[in-house]
Amino acid sequence: MATKTLALLLTVVGLAFGGIREGCAADPKSPELVHTALRILASVYADMDAKLKNQQFDRLPHENQEFQDGSGAMLDAIAGDPADFKATVQASLEMTRSAAQHVADLSKSRDAAQVKSAIDALAASMRTLNGLFPEALRAEPGSLPAPKHGGPATP
Amino acid sequence: MLTSLLMLPVGFVGYQVFAASVLVPDVELSVATDGDLLAFKPTTLVCPSGAHVSLTFFHTGKYIRQEHDWVLTVPGQAAAVAKTGLKAGERAGYLRPGDRRVLAATRLCGKGEQVSVQFTAPSPGSYPFMCSYPGHGEFMRGVLNVTP
Repeated sequence: MATKTLALLLTVVGLAFGGIREGCAADPKSPELVHTALRILASVYADMDAKLKNQQFDRLPHENQEFQDGSGAMLDAIAGDPADFKATVQASLEMTRSAAQHVADLSKSRDAAQVKSAIDALAASMRTLNGLFPEALRAEPGSLPAPKHGGPATP
Repeated sequence: MLTSLLMLPVGFVGYQVFAASVLVPDVELSVATDGDLLAFKPTTLVCPSGAHVSLTFFHTGKYIRQEHDWVLTVPGQAAAVAKTGLKAGERAGYLRPGDRRVLAATRLCGKGEQVSVQFTAPSPGSYPFMCSYPGHGEFMRGVLNVTP
């Protein structure tokens, strides 16, 4: 009985938090730019993930540089938004940039498990960033078409 | 009379050149990156076989310092070309010099740049194009459909 009550309580709390998270998603002034910025970051993430799968550790610092560059698109996209919202997004974006830097730092170890863990952490931080925006604008990590490692699907 | 006879073959050759230039069109194609995304826009191009093609490739990226190129290969060889290009390295523009599987290629270019290449469209079929920069070929792909 106590277990059922606890499970119910956790479900209610979970739903409530989910609703709060959804409710926090604000409509930015430049939705198309925000969507493009999120797609750019998701695109670099996909390339980073592909490099890990191909064991190309030496390419990961370069991917991190691209991520850092790409984050500029988000800064431009929210330039016209209210200061408090901008600060929230900037803080979240900074978390993703740190996570990407961590991937680059760990790539020197050439330890696939460690790098995978760092890339997973980057994905988590990106999901948090996406959560700040309405669902229609999001581009979650891994949402882009997965590359076919055997080569292009085209003829 | 002798002069007229001598001019005959010249005139015939001249006619052939004229006929060929009329039958084979000059085609201008344009392709770009999808901004900073690892994608071409458009992903499908079309031209007739034998056409003299002038293709311009625009790198429309604004934020990311990454290079791209446009490489047309024979069918089924894009992945292999990318693989050997990786071994060829940056100095070779990530393309093995003299790779016969490459039908046409621009040089690598940075954001905001545009480059072009001229080539004769091959026999009818679907030919893959890609970016040869390491890893990009897995995302940046398209097809040139060559019509009869």
